[in-house]
Formats: sequence, C-alpha cells, structure tokens
Amino acid sequence: MFYRLSGVHHANYVSDSRIFKVPADRNLTAFIFLIGLAAPFIIPSLYLNSYMLPWLIWTAAALGLNLVTGWAGQLHLGYAAVMAVGAYSSIHAARFGVPWEFALIIGGLTSSVIGSLFAFAALRVKGLYLALTTLAMQFVMDWVLTHSPAISGGSHASLQSPTLALLGQEITTDTGFYYVAFGWCVLVTIFMLNLKRTGLGRALVAVREKDFAAAILGVNSFYYKILAFATSSFIAGVSGALLVATFFFLAAPEQFSVAVSIQVLAMVIVGGLGSIIGSYFGVALILLVPGIVNGLVVTLSDGLGMQIDVETLAHIPNAVYGALIVIILLIEPLGLGKLYGNIRDYLMVWPFDQFKK
Amino acid sequence: MKKLTKALAVLSMFGGAMFGTQALAEPFKIGICYDLSKAYTFATPQVSQAAMDLAKLINMKGGIGGEPVEVIVRDHGNEPQRGIECYSKLSREGVFVFDTLSTPVSLAILPRAMEDGRILMQSLVGRGDAVDGTVFDWVYPIGPTYWGQAANDVAYIKQLHDGDLSDVKVGFVYFDYPFGQEPIEILETLSEKEGFELELYPVPLPGSDQAGVWSKVRRDKPDHVIVWMLGGAHVVASKEMKRNRIPMDKYISVNWLNEVDIANIGKEAAKGIKRGTNVVGGQDIALYQEIMAELYDKGEGSGPIEKTQDVFYNTGLAMYSIMFEAARKAAEAEGLPITPTSYKAGLESLEGYDANGLMAPITVTAEDHGGGGKTRIEMWDGETWVPQTDWISEYTDVVWGVVKESSAKYEQ
Repeated sequence: MFYRLSGVHHANYVSDSRIFKVPADRNLTAFIFLIGLAAPFIIPSLYLNSYMLPWLIWTAAALGLNLVTGWAGQLHLGYAAVMAVGAYSSIHAARFGVPWEFALIIGGLTSSVIGSLFAFAALRVKGLYLALTTLAMQFVMDWVLTHSPAISGGSHASLQSPTLALLGQEITTDTGFYYVAFGWCVLVTIFMLNLKRTGLGRALVAVREKDFAAAILGVNSFYYKILAFATSSFIAGVSGALLVATFFFLAAPEQFSVAVSIQVLAMVIVGGLGSIIGSYFGVALILLVPGIVNGLVVTLSDGLGMQIDVETLAHIPNAVYGALIVIILLIEPLGLGKLYGNIRDYLMVWPFDQFKK
Repeated sequence: MKKLTKALAVLSMFGGAMFGTQALAEPFKIGICYDLSKAYTFATPQVSQAAMDLAKLINMKGGIGGEPVEVIVRDHGNEPQRGIECYSKLSREGVFVFDTLSTPVSLAILPRAMEDGRILMQSLVGRGDAVDGTVFDWVYPIGPTYWGQAANDVAYIKQLHDGDLSDVKVGFVYFDYPFGQEPIEILETLSEKEGFELELYPVPLPGSDQAGVWSKVRRDKPDHVIVWMLGGAHVVASKEMKRNRIPMDKYISVNWLNEVDIANIGKEAAKGIKRGTNVVGGQDIALYQEIMAELYDKGEGSGPIEKTQDVFYNTGLAMYSIMFEAARKAAEAEGLPITPTSYKAGLESLEGYDANGLMAPITVTAEDHGGGGKTRIEMWDGETWVPQTDWISEYTDVVWGVVKESSAKYEQ
C-alpha cells in the first residue's frame, strides 16, 4: 500500500537500472531531503550543531568506508588515519592561503595518494592480515602526528583551522556549517547511490564475493581494490577536513586515533555492510546514542529524585548502549540497514502479504 | 509611528526586566564536563566529588552573595564530539564556566569558548600556552603548566646540588605522545643554560612495558629521573627500578601520582619517591577537615570517603576553591548576577590566594592566566608526603619564552 508497485514495469535495462525503482522510495528520499534542507529552521540550534552536523559528516565518512569494506569487501582498520591526512593537509593548505575549495580537494587527493600507497603494500595480503596491515597504517600515522610538530602544529599537537570560506563567502554561522555538511553528505550519498548501478560497483561486488572468481571473469581485482581504496580515501580526506573546518575548528591527533577508526568500522557494521541508508542509521547509533542515552538517564534520575553517584551515572548509558548494539546485531546480523529493508519488504505488499506465503 | 516606538520601548523594557529577574534567580553554575567512563577515570571521580562537596559546603554557609551555587557533572567519555555537545547544552542553560579535565575535549571546546566568550578552566590539562592571557582571553589554566612544572623540578635538582648542575645528569622518562613530550623543549633549553646533561627515555603507550627503558637508565646512571607518566605506568616503572637497583629517590614524578599508585607500588617500597605538586597532599588541611566535619561525619558526603583520601581530591578542592573564590570576588565587586565579564574580572583579581593553606598561592592577572605556576616537590616517607621545597616558580623567563612562541602560532 505504501510502496505502490502497480504500473511499475521495467521493460528495458535503463529502466531497470534506475536508482529508485519504486516511486515511493524516490518520494521518501525527496521528503527527507527537504527536511534536511529545512532543518536549520525547524531544529533547535543545539541539536543542529551538536547532533545533526557531526552526524552528517560522519555519515559521509562512513559511506566512504562502506565503499571499501561493504562494497569491495576489504577490512580497513586505519580509516581515521586517512581522515587525518585529509584534515591536516587541507588545513595546512588553507593556512598557506589556498582557497578552501582547493584546499579540500588537496586534502582529498593527499589522502587518496597516501591511502592507496598503503593499499599497494597492504593488498598483497587478504582478510585478517589486511586488517592488521591497515591497523599498522593507523599507528604509523599516529606516530607521525605526535612526533612532527611541523605537521601537527604547536602546543599539544593542535592545529588551528582558518575560517572556512566557500565561493567567496566566509562561513561562520551554525546554519552555514550545517549546509556545508549537508551538501557534502548529499554529494557522497548520490555518488554511492550511483555506484550501485555502474560497472565499477558491480566489479567491486565481484571482487568482494571472490576475488579470483572475479579475475576469471576478466575483472582485475588488484586494480579495483586499489581504486576502492583511493576513492574511499578521497571521501575520508574531505570528510576529515570538513569535520575540522565546520565542527572542531582545530585538528588534534586524538580526533583521529585508533579508537575512532574502530568506531567508524562499528558504524558501518552496525549500519549494515553495503547499505547506504544503513550507514545513516549506524552513525546515528554509534555517534549520537551514547550522548542521548546519557541525557535520558540523567533526566530520568533527576526526575525520580534518585541519588546516583556520578560515576555510576556515567556508566549506565555505556551499558545500555552496549546492550543496544548486541540486541540489534542479534535481531538482525546484517545491521540496521537490513532492519529497515525488512520493514520495507513487509510494507511493500502489506496488507496483501498473505499472497506471498 | 510614535506609538510604535513607545510600544517597542515598553516591550524591550519588559523583556529586559524579565530577562533580568530570570538571571537573578539563576544560581551560579559550573559546568563539569568530565570523562567519568574512559581514559581519565584515575582522577575525575575524586575531582568531581571534591567539586560537589565544596558546592554543598558553600551552600550550607549561605552560597555566594546569598545565592546558592550549583555544579553540573556530566560524562563525555573523553570524546571531543560529546564534550562539545555537553558544552553546547549547558551553555544554553546559562552555564558560562566550564571545566573538562581532558586534553582532547579541552582542545575541542577552546575555539568555541573563545568565540562565545565563556570561561574555560583547564587546570592541568589542555594546551599549556593558554596561560598567555593576551591571546587566550577566556581560558584559565590555573595551576602549573607542564613546562613550568618541569622547570621547577630542575630548580629543585639545582638546590640539591648547591646551585651547580655542570656535572649532573638528568634523565627524562616520558609517555611518547604530546602529554609527555611537552616538557622536552624546556628541559633542553635549561640543559643548555645550566650545563647539565639530559637523557631522553621515551616510553611507548600505555607504558606497561618499560624493561628496555630502565635498563638503559641503569647503564646511563643519571643522578635524577624526571618522570612524565600516569597511573599504572608508575607501578611498572617502580618494579623495573627495583629490578635494575635504581634507588627510588631518583624518581621525580609529574603531579599525576596519587595514593592509589603508592598503594600499588607498596607503601614501604615507594619510600623516597618524589612528585611535583601544586596542592598539599594528605588530610591535614583546614578545608578538608571542615568538609569532613560538616558533610562526611553527618553522612552527607557526595561519595565514598576513601576517595577523599587521595591527592586528586585535594587537587579538585583546589581547582574549585579557585572557581568559587573568583565568583565570590565577582559578586562582591559587581554584584549579582555574575556575568562572564564580571567572573573574568573576579578571576583576575585573585592575589596570593591559597585556599587557606591548601595549595600554592596563585595570583591571576590579565596577562598570566596560570596564576604564577608555583609547585613544590614532596617526598613519600613511607607514611606521608614530606615537602622538600617551598612553593617555587623558577626559570619563568624561559617558560614564558616557550609560552609566547607557542601562543603566537595560535593567533596566525
């Protein structure tokens, strides 16, 4: 009923490879896009700048990781390091006087180069060995950042970001920052939506399923793996740079530590490997839920007038949050994206689902 | 038209009055966004307990200027993103004094606090160059910077060697990341100036393996070892020192060495260990005794009493005594409600304040937001901490040279 299928016939390949095969999906996406556009006017500024903005930027980043882990099937444990490369090189470029538009692209390209250089070495091994090699990249990057003041800036290795300016406009308001993040996230999403239906996307999936089988089909798996690493590193680099330019305002090594790498991977896995909408949900769960649960628990204990000591109060949300992840993965091992897919599949034929049985 | 202006004027007056009364009824609040669940839990529970106890005590005595005070404790799990969330949320609730006790979060909040004109207290954490009040208007790292602490340690060593360091060898054992690396520049400058030999011993995180480091220390035979590590790493170091037969009294720790570490090393085994500190250790302190009498003896303490028997509890008392004293000064000078500007003036009017013998006296000025950076060296004698020096603040010209050089980079 909600996803009306009547009259939807795909008679040729072009029609069959549309992004939205069902009009309801397209309408829903358009609706969410409009809400996103109107967010600064309908969402209080606190939520806009401390929830929505990081959520969108991290979603863009997670989509990048999803490209390499979800689509191409390569486990990547050094994603935050790649983001750091982008962030630091963009900021250095911007401090040097390069306009921000180019600085962001420079950041993306540097990440891309360094990310794929590592991939060259790393891709000689597979699976868990690859995961460990990428983890090594993370540690190398951490070490470089904490040991080279020229890169990481002065005191406590923090590097101030110049004011963001795009198309000659200085961006200083919450609304402005939000639109930059929103724009970037939309761009990455459109790219990922299209990736699904291109030869590149199909090649990546083939490599993921079995790389030598893909080779037999004539897909150069090494080339596509490098390509996946390079593209995802580009997205990581720009996302890292935007994260600093619109949210942190200064770059510090802790913002891109190994813990962050694992967090992004968790976002992708909880959200669902290879799922775009899943990445949105996954980021919301991993990034925002701890803060929200924390707020809820505090309000609850205040409201009930309970005397809980601050340490316990801090640990309850962690326990709730951990339990939430376990429960979600128990209910649906393929992640939140699949959970959404299940609901969609159910509604697709509702109330006539008995016909399917 | 006239009517309209009149109406607008009345409206704005009304609005102003409403806002005014609202602000008056608000208690003075301090936003404590702490890491109570991840990396900083070795100190945050004690410090926040001290803050809550102190607020209770002040309210029992009638608050500040007749208004109660409030401390709001929230967890940010050492994640910059959640720290920013905590800051944004509380600052919309009218909080304008913040403390994070976490370097990553303090760094993340700093640009916002500077922009919004809110007070960021960052004693013992965050970027050291923030003591430069001419650049960092709204940031107050009251207490010693790591640079100042290291300089004071060298001054202490100089006292031990009767003012001549020319044939002295000093080792520096440090966590190999920004926290531990910070004093290196100062130590190198001082080594050149005073002529002592400096050996660097980086310790990889998390400091659980130090075997190589200490056997190297044994070979190099430094006369003193200045140590920039935290928590369990002290215990590992003490074991390795025993193994290499390095006497404990060579060990001069950064302020992050507490009673829990001493207990883990063993009270007897730790004999002779030294630490730099800006607060008095132990329980023989007027303010501590008062809190015991007024709160804990009546069962109204904010947490278990064991946590108060820890130097980080004293550190917390010191930090928050300063913050409340500044509020009192602000209320005295400019009346209620306290505003960010009047609070800032209150902080900058602190002169020789030592919270009745709890800590090194501090004098905050518009230029020096660190309060002078005095510390002293204490030694563990098996039972208690014995002061080895007065409150000192040495080589200030060298320290400020580094501060200025670093803060100039922020302005760019």
